[in-house]
Amino acid sequence: MTIIDTPAAPAPRASHRLTTSKAMVEAIAQEMERDPSVFYLGEDVGAYGGIFSSTTGLLERFGPQRVIDTPISETAFIGLGIGAAVEGMRPIVELMFADFMGVCLDQIYNHMAKIHYESGGNVKVPMVLTTAVGGGYSDGAQHSQCLWGTFAHLPGMKVVVPSTPADAKGLMTSAIRDDNPVIYMFHKGVMGLPWMAKNARSTDDVPEGDYTVPIGKARVAREGSDVTVVTLSLSVHHALDVAESVAGEGIDVEVIDLRSLVPLDREAILTSVGKTGRLVVVDEDYCSFGLSGEVVATVADHDPRMLRVPVQRVAVPDVPIPYAHALEYAVLPRQDRIEKAVRTAVAG
Amino acid sequence: MTDVVFPALSKETPDAEGVLATWFVSDGATVTADQLVAEVQVEKVSAEVAAPVGGVVHLLVAEEATVKQGSPIARIE
Repeated sequence: MTIIDTPAAPAPRASHRLTTSKAMVEAIAQEMERDPSVFYLGEDVGAYGGIFSSTTGLLERFGPQRVIDTPISETAFIGLGIGAAVEGMRPIVELMFADFMGVCLDQIYNHMAKIHYESGGNVKVPMVLTTAVGGGYSDGAQHSQCLWGTFAHLPGMKVVVPSTPADAKGLMTSAIRDDNPVIYMFHKGVMGLPWMAKNARSTDDVPEGDYTVPIGKARVAREGSDVTVVTLSLSVHHALDVAESVAGEGIDVEVIDLRSLVPLDREAILTSVGKTGRLVVVDEDYCSFGLSGEVVATVADHDPRMLRVPVQRVAVPDVPIPYAHALEYAVLPRQDRIEKAVRTAVAG
Repeated sequence: MTDVVFPALSKETPDAEGVLATWFVSDGATVTADQLVAEVQVEKVSAEVAAPVGGVVHLLVAEEATVKQGSPIARIE
């Protein structure tokens, strides 16, 4: 007789329903309450509350000394954040759109990301750089990019990309407490904003109180046995839609939400592909030289024989994001393209 | 019994209709006073709606429904 010792399930935690943006704000507010060195600065983060509601209510609660509206000079205010961080504060700096990295990249990758290394580990830069990413609402080629592959490519920064309200809270708490610079990228389509297209998956239960999600740990968003979809951010929601719609036909899709790009949870990718033998990578960033290739290389480096069929990559073809709605939907990795890739993978 | 009303968000156009964007509680749920129950929107301005009192909440309008400012959206018993 075998006795299987099942560990007691953890007691269910009290939770409440929030949108992703409110969950993000809850984490920031809790950390600002807990730690006076935490403060937030950026364009329109005060009275406006963040153009994608990343800071709603924080100014009223914590005042203009700790929630600071800045002029439109990203290089200056990211530099301000870096200076404050090396002096022991824990700033959260918002870059309104990731697309704007072009005007301030030197501060990000040559200073924020390298000071710890260049000081021989003597100087820490405990700051969070928050930034809005993603398309799907006709905002044009300079306001719709994800670009997480670019940030993740440059060494010295952690990169997190939550897709759910609970992860938005847990990863924000972890990012603020981390002694390294962390890029926190929130997709506008997962925030649960009333003026965006309705997304039922952007409102969900969020644990009460102190809540952290470890940086560098992926999440199995849906268990399945036939094919692995490795993805992140809004594409997790689309992949779950597809998984649910093909489940009735007996196609069992596993969805892996990476949550962090740096560090990348390669173990989670290998574990899932080891089980299914089929891999679809869904990435709203550009296809070439980026995340989708890195995920495939992770499997190929380990053992290409794990793959029973060729990999399918569903990403933005290497073109700027169009403004026209129909054209934009044609390049974004939405349900139609994901479903086609899943069907191709399981047919093989 | 207490009504939860759609807040008057637009002073210029008090007759403008709004939208019940999100319910954060389900019908029949027990809520506490000041708990966030909904988010509403009028002409791109959104606002949170908190429960005025504690009790069992009955939702009177569905998500995405068009609602007049000032009219009841839920009832708390």
